[in-house]
Amino acid sequence: MIDFVKTRFLKIEHRYFPSVGVLGSLIIIGLVFGFITNKFFKLDTLAGIFTITAEIGMVCIPLALLIISAEFDLSVGSTFAFAGVLGALLLNQRVNSFLVLAAAIIFGICIGTINGTLVTKLRLPSFIVTLGIMFILRGLLLVITAGFPVSFKGSNMLLFVLNGKLTGEFRMSFIWLILCVIFFHFILNHTRHGNWSLACGGNVDVAQAMGIPTSRVKLINFMLVGATSAFAGMLSFARFGMAYPTLGEGMELEAIAAAVLGGCALRGGFGTIFGASLGALLIASLRVGLVLVGAPAYWYRAFVGLILLIGIIINKEIMRQLVGGEQ
Amino acid sequence: MKKIMVAILMVSMSILGFCAERVFYYVPHAGAGDPFWAVQKLGWETACRLLGVKGIFVAPTVFSIEEQVNMLESAIAARPDGIATTISSDTAFDAPLKRAKELGIPVFAVNIEDYEPPYVPYIAYIGQDEFIVGEVLANRVLQEFTPKRAVIGIHQPGLTCLELRAEGILRVFQNRGIPIEKIDVTPYPTQALEIMKAYLARYPDTEVIFTLGPLGAHPAIDLVKEMGLKGKVRLATCDVSPEILDAIKNDLMICAIAQQPFIQGFLAAVWLYLYVEYGFLPPAKMPTGPTVIDKFNLDIAEKQILTTGGL
Repeated sequence: MIDFVKTRFLKIEHRYFPSVGVLGSLIIIGLVFGFITNKFFKLDTLAGIFTITAEIGMVCIPLALLIISAEFDLSVGSTFAFAGVLGALLLNQRVNSFLVLAAAIIFGICIGTINGTLVTKLRLPSFIVTLGIMFILRGLLLVITAGFPVSFKGSNMLLFVLNGKLTGEFRMSFIWLILCVIFFHFILNHTRHGNWSLACGGNVDVAQAMGIPTSRVKLINFMLVGATSAFAGMLSFARFGMAYPTLGEGMELEAIAAAVLGGCALRGGFGTIFGASLGALLIASLRVGLVLVGAPAYWYRAFVGLILLIGIIINKEIMRQLVGGEQ
Repeated sequence: MKKIMVAILMVSMSILGFCAERVFYYVPHAGAGDPFWAVQKLGWETACRLLGVKGIFVAPTVFSIEEQVNMLESAIAARPDGIATTISSDTAFDAPLKRAKELGIPVFAVNIEDYEPPYVPYIAYIGQDEFIVGEVLANRVLQEFTPKRAVIGIHQPGLTCLELRAEGILRVFQNRGIPIEKIDVTPYPTQALEIMKAYLARYPDTEVIFTLGPLGAHPAIDLVKEMGLKGKVRLATCDVSPEILDAIKNDLMICAIAQQPFIQGFLAAVWLYLYVEYGFLPPAKMPTGPTVIDKFNLDIAEKQILTTGGL
């Protein structure tokens, strides 16, 4: 059977196989929830799931690209919060809406640049660098806001464009998520940068020997992560009209979990954008599904942990069987 | 190294304040930048100024028992006239508070008390009983109407004070035979809103959503607004923010419970002073709440926010 799958499918795109585990988990979970409650596949429920997916996905998808190039970013949650607070503060100062959005994204890019520069130029581990930046940003947020939430009261076109209601319970964030998936899928699979990212994660010494500018590739990936994390923070702010200094705490781990569930190898060199987005969808489905089926309140975290472990085991087994490698 | 530096800092601060007749420390579990603790700090500093004592407020930036214990030990090493602290962990605080007692340093518990025996040694507790908070909140809702079903959205499961609030609510509703349960809504607003929405889809007869703080209350307010549920699903919460006061004003929320953090910090200094200076013996528990904020006392609540920054 495995040989059949191997010969039949490996010719197509073996790099998509990491997504098989998460896709399988998603189908099983969907079937189970759908079987227990007929509310799971209702449009309103799906809209809610996609709204949560959008927020996690906007962070975990670029993060997947970074993980593929063998780096981490733990500052995504604090960048997310900072961008939201920045957006609220600037809008309260009556700054032009789209300048506000630009400022938030530029801020994210700056954070990515700092992370990337420290990692690539000083050869520091990204885990420590981004942890440090995370603390710095959280500290600055507390100083700037004095711990208070920052609200923006009033209507603004930007808030609608970012996260207004599209149709029914579907929100604009769903569109942004799809654009994000397409954009990063294109980058990973159809550009030189994507190939270089895979090469950096596979074996950085070989990649360098082949003339790949590994530092530049990683720096760009850090910048992309910063930009989209900031954008995701603006999405959250746009929906609630407020941001606060602890917003997005713990999000970095959820985003990494989603990327790994989606088949990204933690040591880099392997993974897909499609898989990472399914990982985010799986986490969001669990969040909503467990409530819908009336599961005991405190089981969610345990379920995510269990699904994460099962997903990783499935992914590893699939890769072992199909590619023969130790992913 | 960190402990030594904190100790040096605290001893220096004590020496700097030698000219004050009394030196008191307030060592809570969180402080810098947190609005709740900013108000506590203001109350503490105001009282210390009025009393003419040196009041030193030291706290971890974010909730950290380990860091708080280190600071507490350093404060004890500085041999002050009295200490106020939050009992964020009974086991972690047992040794330092026993040492403070041996050294004759009076300690008052503020905001968080020791919930279970064997109790760590402190003179008295200033704050609210979280279980009673839940009961008062639930009873205030029942005074308004008897819902068919209710849910409690807890944004940080496992946090003792929130769990106790939830237990208080559960007890009252279960005694009345009203279906109620807790759900983990997470501290993330988007997820909180969608989780509560999913709960309403599963149980459309839910008429009350309890939340245990602004992190749960704000998404609940947005949920009611977004889904046009005003009058159908009513809200009640603990702690207060401008958004929560607006929701009470606009009839989206029945009430909120305030524990009046300013007065907790203020009374901590006052009671230390009364104890040390005059030998007054306080009652074991001195409640600063629960105070119910509803549309009938919004004006006075707003005045407290205006003058102290919080409620």
